[in-house]
Amino acid sequence: MSIPLPSGPDGYIKDDRANSEFLVPRKAFTSPEVLAAEREQIFNTCWLYAAHASEIPKANDFISRRVGGRELIISRNAEGELGAHFNTCSHRGAMVCREKMGNTKRFVCPYHGWTFDTGGVMVEQPADTGFPDDFFSKGTKNLRSVAKVDTYRDFVFITYNPNAKTLIEYLAGVTEYIDIVADQSAVGMEITEGNHEYSMRANWKLLLENSADGYHGLTTHATYFDYLQATNGAFRTDFDPATMAGKCVDLGNGHAAIEYGAPWGRPVAQWVPQWGEEGRATVDELKANLVARCGEDKATRIAEKNRNILIFPNLVINDIMALTVRTFQPVDAGYLEVNAWSLAPSEEHPDVRKFRQYNFLEFLGPAGFATPDDVEMLELCQQGYQNLPEPMWNDISKGMSQAQNGVNDELQMRAFWRQWNKLMAA
Amino acid sequence: MTYTRSQVEDFLFHEAALIDEWRTKEWKELYTEDAEYLVPPTENPDADKNTALFIINDDKHRLDQRAIRLTRRTAHSEFPHSILCHLITNVRLVTDADGKQGSNDIPVHYNQVVYRSKRQITDTYICKVRQILVPEGDSFKIRSKRVILAADTLRPQGRVSIIL
Ligand code: FES
Ligand SMILES: [Fe+2]
Repeated sequence: MSIPLPSGPDGYIKDDRANSEFLVPRKAFTSPEVLAAEREQIFNTCWLYAAHASEIPKANDFISRRVGGRELIISRNAEGELGAHFNTCSHRGAMVCREKMGNTKRFVCPYHGWTFDTGGVMVEQPADTGFPDDFFSKGTKNLRSVAKVDTYRDFVFITYNPNAKTLIEYLAGVTEYIDIVADQSAVGMEITEGNHEYSMRANWKLLLENSADGYHGLTTHATYFDYLQATNGAFRTDFDPATMAGKCVDLGNGHAAIEYGAPWGRPVAQWVPQWGEEGRATVDELKANLVARCGEDKATRIAEKNRNILIFPNLVINDIMALTVRTFQPVDAGYLEVNAWSLAPSEEHPDVRKFRQYNFLEFLGPAGFATPDDVEMLELCQQGYQNLPEPMWNDISKGMSQAQNGVNDELQMRAFWRQWNKLMAA
Repeated sequence: MTYTRSQVEDFLFHEAALIDEWRTKEWKELYTEDAEYLVPPTENPDADKNTALFIINDDKHRLDQRAIRLTRRTAHSEFPHSILCHLITNVRLVTDADGKQGSNDIPVHYNQVVYRSKRQITDTYICKVRQILVPEGDSFKIRSKRVILAADTLRPQGRVSIIL
């Protein structure tokens, strides 16, 4: 596919390590041809987050949702085995599942009545004439399944690529960070009721960059810090601000994370005075359980550190004042859709769950005290790119001259763009 | 004492005018100290704020901070302020099974459309609102406002950076 981007010795980006300068072409955010190539070379080849196993715990549970721009049914069959199928009838293409989630034995296509089980197997149709006897017994009329489905610590991923390497190989170093999320429960994490389905008039890569960008915190989210200042007991009293600098790591295959001290309450096991003395006893007990399960060092890391985790190409797990799983996909070059959820230990104490859901909204979500300002920034960038072609490069150099990067550097974005460049140039 | 729909409407129109005119510091004074301001998840208007992920789950403290935040230049999404217009309709005073109004808590249901315009784009929020009013002098205060989005997602609006 021909991609209308300037191409140089480093491919579509400029990765000048000698001069510590890293540039990305703005046209990559605006061009429909680039998006078409991304669908082919990224969304159709990578592993993509599809669901969390807690959303479909039982046999015959299903979800229907868009994953990487395509309409899927993610379901368990009557034996409880996980599968992912294209939500389109093998007869003439109607979507056979119209509910967002539920439990059923059969998907009945509303158009002519072809009927499929939750494993996608075609089981009946209403006509008694017109087809040879063995027409439906060959398996060719089943729902088409996606090439591969696999899970890592209850995170369900799919890929449309039959030649994809295994999920575990694909995830590379980010498994350490997914483990830290999954280890927050002794019995399993769960997606809580309710979700945030919203959108931004911006290119999907802008949201990826923004989701682990420490550099924008103090400017874009000034009013969030004003809110914390105005809230009694929102900060831990013994917080050491030096821990905020944190670290930023490239985890391979385009994945990356930032990790840094959390001044605010973390429902997993970091109490703040806002939660009262009663809350303290509950949260202290959580911490003790965590230490017993994971050891002192890891428990402290889980409890006291924030993590913004980028999983290439479009999954973000932000383990901050609450835990959000956020995936997003392009609809067109200048418009993306977001689905985000709150993830929590399924055994969570009701008081802590209440703190968690309240905390989540102080920063995150389409009406939080921070996310709307991120939306604004992304949309301002997208509109700024109307000025192409003269100003044509974005600068993502911060931290490039340093051996170690912190949360305010841009190594995480360079990790993404290097992988993007590799797949797009392929 | 019973209240008429027009008394209640006068109050709702006043609240809407304060929001539309960006008089958010006056707006927050319409709420009781134990007030809540909620936007439940789109798939379950009756969800419990203590267990489910809402879109907005404000107690009075956070509602106050929301109001103050929106006066700052650093509330970027609303700087400069967008242009707002609330349309309120289908106002009903909800009575109990005997057709009686509550004497202290007065439940009111209504529908509203809110238009938000900024940078040449107009977003529309279609809402079903449930309020609980309490009498205050010759007017009311709001003890609870639950704004149910009559939509299955927040697309394409993408954000609720205004007060609904
Ligand atoms: S399209 Fe589904 S039965 Fe015809
Ligand atoms: Fe942000």
